[in-house]
Amino acid sequence: MNIIKLNALDGTQIEFDKDSQAGCGAMKDVYFSPDKSYVVGFFRKPQDNNSRERLQTIVTNYKKMLFENEGGKNIESLFCWPTHIVEYNDGNKVKIGVVCPTYDKKFFFASGKFKGKEQEGKWFASAKLRNKFLESDVKGNWLNYLQVCIKIARAVKRLHAAGLAHSDLSYKNILINPLSGDACIIDIDGLVVPGKFPPDVVGTPDFIAPEVLETMELEKNDKNKKLPQRSTDQHALAVLIYMYLLYRHPLRGGMVCDPSDSDNDEKLLMGKEALFIEHPTNNKNRPLLSSLSKDELPQGNIDLLPYTLVGPYLKELFDRAFIKGLHNPRERPTADEWERALIKTVDLIQPCPNPKCEAKFFVFDNTKYPKCPFCGTSYEKTLPVLNFYYKPRSKGNFMNENIRLMVFEQQSLYKWHIDRNIFPNEKIKDCDRKPVGDFHFIKGKWWLVNRNIEKLVDVTTEPHVEILKKQKVELTEGRKLLFSNNGNLRLAIVQMANDKKRK
Amino acid sequence: MRRLPVYILIDTSGSMYGEPIEAVKNGLSIMLSTLTSDPYALETAYLSIISFNETAQQILPLTEITAVTVPNVEASGCTALGEALSLVSDCIEKEVEKGSNSAKGDWKPLIFIMTDGEPTDDINIGLPKFKSLKTGVVVACAAGNGANTGILKQITENVVSLSAADSESIKSFFKWVSASVSVSSVKVDNHGEISNNLDELPPPPDEINVVL
Repeated sequence: MNIIKLNALDGTQIEFDKDSQAGCGAMKDVYFSPDKSYVVGFFRKPQDNNSRERLQTIVTNYKKMLFENEGGKNIESLFCWPTHIVEYNDGNKVKIGVVCPTYDKKFFFASGKFKGKEQEGKWFASAKLRNKFLESDVKGNWLNYLQVCIKIARAVKRLHAAGLAHSDLSYKNILINPLSGDACIIDIDGLVVPGKFPPDVVGTPDFIAPEVLETMELEKNDKNKKLPQRSTDQHALAVLIYMYLLYRHPLRGGMVCDPSDSDNDEKLLMGKEALFIEHPTNNKNRPLLSSLSKDELPQGNIDLLPYTLVGPYLKELFDRAFIKGLHNPRERPTADEWERALIKTVDLIQPCPNPKCEAKFFVFDNTKYPKCPFCGTSYEKTLPVLNFYYKPRSKGNFMNENIRLMVFEQQSLYKWHIDRNIFPNEKIKDCDRKPVGDFHFIKGKWWLVNRNIEKLVDVTTEPHVEILKKQKVELTEGRKLLFSNNGNLRLAIVQMANDKKRK
Repeated sequence: MRRLPVYILIDTSGSMYGEPIEAVKNGLSIMLSTLTSDPYALETAYLSIISFNETAQQILPLTEITAVTVPNVEASGCTALGEALSLVSDCIEKEVEKGSNSAKGDWKPLIFIMTDGEPTDDINIGLPKFKSLKTGVVVACAAGNGANTGILKQITENVVSLSAADSESIKSFFKWVSASVSVSSVKVDNHGEISNNLDELPPPPDEINVVL
């Protein structure tokens, strides 16, 4: 033990153990506090005044802006936010250090070859690493990745809502735990505030927006030079979500731009010439199966696992991110749109009937012969789909909301399904998190049991029938169920999908 | 997927005998264990080791890092740095995939050279060919005071030095090499030019001095 005591710039006493190095990042040397509850990371390079002021603002004002708003408590775990800044003279030079809480233990490998290593997001986003190195008990299922993506989108949404941009989003700066569906953004020293703190870095390869790469040659003060900002975070976020759901890079296909120089080829592929590998009309960048190694398959095969498997809501956003918005930053979906689409997609999920399926869940696509896209097992049962409608005015008709719930055995119905004013994001109240109903398949029939729905009325035919708590209603084609919660009405019309009798 | 070839050239001349060569062996195995638990390196990195004393030998052909076992190295004899440059050039030509209009080539190789003394052959045996190759960052490390940094500067502008060829310094050099193989953020003041200088690598730790 070689305990060094320091006063942080805000006066707090900070201690670290010079003999207990927590890690050696690319930019910082990191040491544990004696009780290992926090770490101090010292920058190897001197920090200029701009960086110091940025750090100081991150631990004070921005921290307040982010966590002291509605729902702020619920997003604390999404970030490893710096708490203090210290200066330390190690005898040679004065070093600037950032104090951060120690990462939660769920973000370290608990067993296996990589035991004790941080669960950097990269591990879980690469086909080769998943297929060749990760043990199956750490990978989690496909639904878990939707949850991970929801957390990341939510974290970015809150940063953007506070007027900040991350500027270097990548799977290197995000730790994830697929088993619990958790994510945590780390290395927050580089936050960008438009007009106040310009970025130091343009990002990490794979995640740098095309316009930034394309204008990198320009001088710093050239107004055409594009630097990291919210719209480039939006590009990085779209790439992250695509990679966590499909385990391949959306722009890394078969196209070669400069055969003589790999660095320049890369710059063009990710920059000026960037083209979505699954572009519907331009197939120049489609991956060549012959050039993929066996470790990159099946995930690299876009014919077998096309991006449409993510369901309609996310497909639309990928189209905006990688087709319309790839070279047109204004078209890119916002983090808020991603969060909403991801949450809506959770309601389209079905468990795969194949117990050996690695993905375990898939988006039910309501085609004539539905099957799990990951393992190919076909889905045989009928499946009730609840299509939701709302009433914009107290008088007038119900309108389709383009929201639906694909029912599966023992699934729960939540308040956000029956009341459009409730949404399961970080602002949701605890009392609104509990299920209000559940679905069961008994002797060939599907039922909804009312557990705690304020008012549930079957309005299919006159006279209407109220379904009281603990009572159940059968789900059949065309059944109309009217939910009310706090005076808000929502109508669900049942559709029986995959009904073999009708095919 | 593109491979990232990493070539390590190690001086195994007599002056490395004892602590320095033991530190190199230790450094190599630390490097290997770091790389085999780094997701970026596991995905793309391939490693080759060339040792040089009387002659230069490729003691590890370019190999995927999970398949690498650290070869044994012994220190004796003189310092054929020129021949080592010639050999690494041949190896790069032979082992690194070039791109074509239909297939992507490998990344440009990263090259790390470590020596503790004066070369005993003419470095011009290998230098012109070496300079003509497309490489990524080339770093030459002068371990201890015996190395001639002037000659290393002819090979690459990126010369670093260790104040002593002791185990701590050599270990931290190999740790830095490992970190360099992983991906890091691209700085704003990199004008999009591939400069191949030290700015593209993580800042070196305190034990490593940059020779200007």
